Amino acid sequence: MMRSFLFCSGLVALLALASACTHVAPYDRGKLAHPTMTDEYDGPASGHVHAVHEGATGGGALGESGCGCN
Amino acid sequence: MQLTRESSSRPASPVPFSLFVVVTLVCAATRAASADDAGTTAAPTTPTERKAPKDTATKRASVEMATYGDSDHVGVVTPSVGMSIDNVITGASLRARYLVDVVSGASVDVVSTASRRWTEIRQAGSIEGEYKPRDFGIAVTGSASNEPDYLSYTVGARMTYDLDAKNTTLLLGYAYGHDTIGRHGTPFAVFARELSRATYAAGVTQVIDRATVIGVALDVVIENGDQSKPYRYIPMFAPAVAASAPLGASIDWVTAHRLPERPLEQLPLTRRRFAVTGRFAHRFDGSTVRLSERIYDDTWGLVASTTDMRWIFDVGRRFALWPHARFHVQSPVTFWERAYVSRNAGNGGWDLPEIRTGDRELGPLWTATGGAGVRMFVGADADPRAWAISLQGDVMYTSYQDDLYLTSRTAVLGAVMFEAEL
Repeated sequence: MMRSFLFCSGLVALLALASACTHVAPYDRGKLAHPTMTDEYDGPASGHVHAVHEGATGGGALGESGCGCN
Repeated sequence: MQLTRESSSRPASPVPFSLFVVVTLVCAATRAASADDAGTTAAPTTPTERKAPKDTATKRASVEMATYGDSDHVGVVTPSVGMSIDNVITGASLRARYLVDVVSGASVDVVSTASRRWTEIRQAGSIEGEYKPRDFGIAVTGSASNEPDYLSYTVGARMTYDLDAKNTTLLLGYAYGHDTIGRHGTPFAVFARELSRATYAAGVTQVIDRATVIGVALDVVIENGDQSKPYRYIPMFAPAVAASAPLGASIDWVTAHRLPERPLEQLPLTRRRFAVTGRFAHRFDGSTVRLSERIYDDTWGLVASTTDMRWIFDVGRRFALWPHARFHVQSPVTFWERAYVSRNAGNGGWDLPEIRTGDRELGPLWTATGGAGVRMFVGADADPRAWAISLQGDVMYTSYQDDLYLTSRTAVLGAVMFEAEL
C-alpha cells in the first residue's frame, strides 16, 4: 500500500511538471547556466557518510544527466 | 569504510601510489590537450615564427578536509584532492579524485564484543573521462578502494543524448563492481568473500522553463555474493527472553540474558535494489533552490524515502550561503529482529535462524539532517569564482526504532574545501 502510494505520487508529480514544459532557446538560458544550478555542494565525505548511514542507494547518476544550460 | 565493524585492527600505512597515478594521468591529459590545440594551429615556418598554442582547456583543482564524529564514539578524518580538465571546444573532459579515510571507533558494537578501539585507513581513488563533442556523449569511469581487509573496484560507462536543442537529455549507464571481503590479519587466500555488483541507470532531464529544470532517474542494482560482516556476532535469546528485550537494551542486559551461542551475521546471498530519484532545481533572481527525492525498494524488503533540499542565496558577488536539510526514513528488512530466537537442538547444537543481522542500517530508522554552508569567492575581480573557499557543516540525528544497544545517534560532519581554476 505504501509502495503504491509513493510510486503513484511520484508519477503524478512528474507528469504534472512535464506537461508544463516550454521550449527554452539557447540564448535564453542564463539562469539555467548559473553555477548554483549545477555546482556540487556535497563533497566526497558527505556522500560516503550518507551511504553508510542509510540503507538505501541510488540517484547518483542523475547529476550527470544534463542541465539544459548550454 | 565500515563505521560499525566489530574488530580490533592496527593502522595500515597509506600508500601514495593511487595519488601518483591520479596526478600522472591528469598531467598526461594536460599535455595531450595542449598537443591537440597545437595540432589545430597552422604549422610554423621557422622556429622564430612559432606561436604558443592557445590552451582552451579549463583546469580545476580542489582540496577538501572533512571530519566526522558521532555519539557512538566513531570518528573519521577524510582529506581528499580532486582535479579536472574540461575542454568545451573539443567536448573532452577528465576528472580524478583521491581520498583517505582515517577511521577510529569504539562503538557499542565494538565494546559489546569486548574488542578494543580500532583505527583503520581506507584509500579510494576515482577517475572519469568523458567525450561529448555534440549531442551524444560517452563517459567511462573507474574507481578503487583499499582497506586492509576490504578491496573494491568499479568500472562503468555512461551515455547521454541531448534532444530538442538540449531541452531534454537522456541518460543510460552501467557499472560493474567487485568487492573482496576479508578478515584483518588473515590473507585473502585463506579467507575471502566475493561480492559482485551490477548497476543499471536510466534517466531523463527536462528543462521546464527559463529557470527550472527537473530530472528523474531509475537505478537498478543487482548484488550477488555474501556481504555478511565477518566480525559481526549476533546475540541469541530464548523465546520468552527475546519477547521482553527492551528497546536499546544495554550491553549488560544483553550479556546477562543471551544464550551462550553467538553466531556470525548471515545475510541473503542476493539482493536486488531499485531506486527512483527525482530532482528539481529553480533559479530565482538572487537564489537557487535544489530539491531531490529518492524512493527506494529492494528484495530484502527495505523501503525508504530520502528527501534533500538546499537553498543557495547569493550575497553579493563574493559570497553564497545555504541552509541544507535532509530527511531519510526506512522500514526494516523482512528478516530484521530486535532479538533473535534460538533453541537448543538437542544434539549439542543450536537451532539458529538461517538469516540474521545486527546491522542497524537494515532496521527501522529515520534520520533528520540540518546544516548550513558558505562559499567565499576569492578570485580576481574579473572572475571571483575562479578561486573559492567553502565551509559547511551538518548535524545528523538518527532514531533507531527497534534495536539493541542504541535508540539514537547524533553525528556531526564538517568540511572545508579549497577550489581553484588553474
